Amino acid sequence: MRHFSELNPLAVTVYFFCVTGIAMFSSYPLLMIAALLGGVIFFIVRNGSSHARSHIFFLLLFIILALANPLMSHNGVTVLFVMNDNPVTLEATLYGLNSAAMIVGVLYWFRSFTQIMTSEKLLYITGALSPKLSLVLSMALRYVPLFSKQSKKIKDSQTATGLFSDDNIIDDIRGRMRIFSILITWALENGITTADSMAARGYGVGRRTQLRRFHFRRGDVLLLIVSLTLTGITAVALSLGKLSWNFYPAIEHSSPDILGICGISAYSALVLLPVIIETEVSLKWKYLLSRI
Amino acid sequence: MLVIKNQRLRNTIRVAVPFLVIPAVTILGSIAFDRKKHIIISLAVAALSLLLFAAGFEKKSTGTRRMVIIAVMTALCFAGRFIPFLKPISALTIISGMYLGGEAGFLVGALSAILSNFYFGQGPWTAFQMLAWGLIGFFAGLFSEPLRKHRPLLILYGAAAGVAYSMIMDIWTVLWYAEGFRTDLYIAALGTALPYTASYVVSNVLFLSLLAGPFGEKLGRIKIKYGV
Repeated sequence: MRHFSELNPLAVTVYFFCVTGIAMFSSYPLLMIAALLGGVIFFIVRNGSSHARSHIFFLLLFIILALANPLMSHNGVTVLFVMNDNPVTLEATLYGLNSAAMIVGVLYWFRSFTQIMTSEKLLYITGALSPKLSLVLSMALRYVPLFSKQSKKIKDSQTATGLFSDDNIIDDIRGRMRIFSILITWALENGITTADSMAARGYGVGRRTQLRRFHFRRGDVLLLIVSLTLTGITAVALSLGKLSWNFYPAIEHSSPDILGICGISAYSALVLLPVIIETEVSLKWKYLLSRI
Repeated sequence: MLVIKNQRLRNTIRVAVPFLVIPAVTILGSIAFDRKKHIIISLAVAALSLLLFAAGFEKKSTGTRRMVIIAVMTALCFAGRFIPFLKPISALTIISGMYLGGEAGFLVGALSAILSNFYFGQGPWTAFQMLAWGLIGFFAGLFSEPLRKHRPLLILYGAAAGVAYSMIMDIWTVLWYAEGFRTDLYIAALGTALPYTASYVVSNVLFLSLLAGPFGEKLGRIKIKYGV
């Protein structure tokens, strides 16, 4: 009984790549709508009514992307109206809407992905791929706050010795450059010391351990199997041409048979999977609390 | 952890990926989806080449000191992305490539892209950014001799890298938006990205001319003092 964000990072990553992969791979409008709606719903379930600015930004982006295609491209047979001697066609308009739904949907999914995949989980995944790279990444992450702390120290000591002034712009820039230069020298020397200390403590002798362990539990395996199966069904429907949709020159699409409908419903179930998990978890908590 | 422990399997992957898998993906992809959804193929190729690089890095016995210096440079790039309007990330990547070698340049570029995107937002573009910045660093390492000796050449390389970065990222914008590559959209994308391209070029030139000298001195000093 864990929240979606607490499941094994590997399973969560596979899930995200399945969802966004299908969205970027196909151009079937129903799948695009499912991806967009699923992304928005999941983002709202996670964040509530906050992030209003993100929503406004995405809305503006959607409008711009949807308008860009009919204004740029004049393919298509159904002319809606003529603007500046250029025909604006129905096909190009629909194509723009479809692309915009795909792009904004994928952006929403990745926004949630960025929230869920903290740097710790990134290290877990890169650690599986390459322990060395993961070490470099984790050190770089640790250095960012360290450097800002150190640069404040340097700035204070420079101010104390009277070398830093910010009343005119040239002096200000020169002062900042001096601080930066001192910081670089310090950072490099400090890095060497760290490396020597690591070597002295036996880095590279055995396998690296992790601060936090992520186990593969039943829920993770279940998520992995379910998302791969649902993606598989949609992928089969896509590759057999059951869900093809051409915009140019005239809209032409395959009428969905059983397999096509299966593909659409599998993808819809896939995009709703995290929302289902979240709802189940919160319902369970509510039930348990009411029993106490 | 899922580290591939079998030495033979690892070697097979290292040979198979560049010579079999990447060409196969490209050719099969373009046959199967003729002109449609090139984005998936290019994403797959970008991801595979990054994986290949990671595998190569894992195999080599890079010294701990070298790795720590790469981490330091990556952290500086990450911190530099917070400066408004100016982006020192390419300049720092070029400097790392120039003084620490092509591999270090690639790593600094690619890793700072993936790290800073945890703050600025991950997306399918992460792979392209990693590849673009990585290649900027890698080529700086490849031409390190002339770049170190001739300052105008370095400035020119910085400006060219800014333009190239913008052009690579716009290819990806077009591929994502339309099915297949379209020249009219590409030109439009380049036009709208013009302010960004200008900011990349200006910041590369500015930071390279400000930082290349002092950084070279410092890295050279570290090399002599500690024998990295």
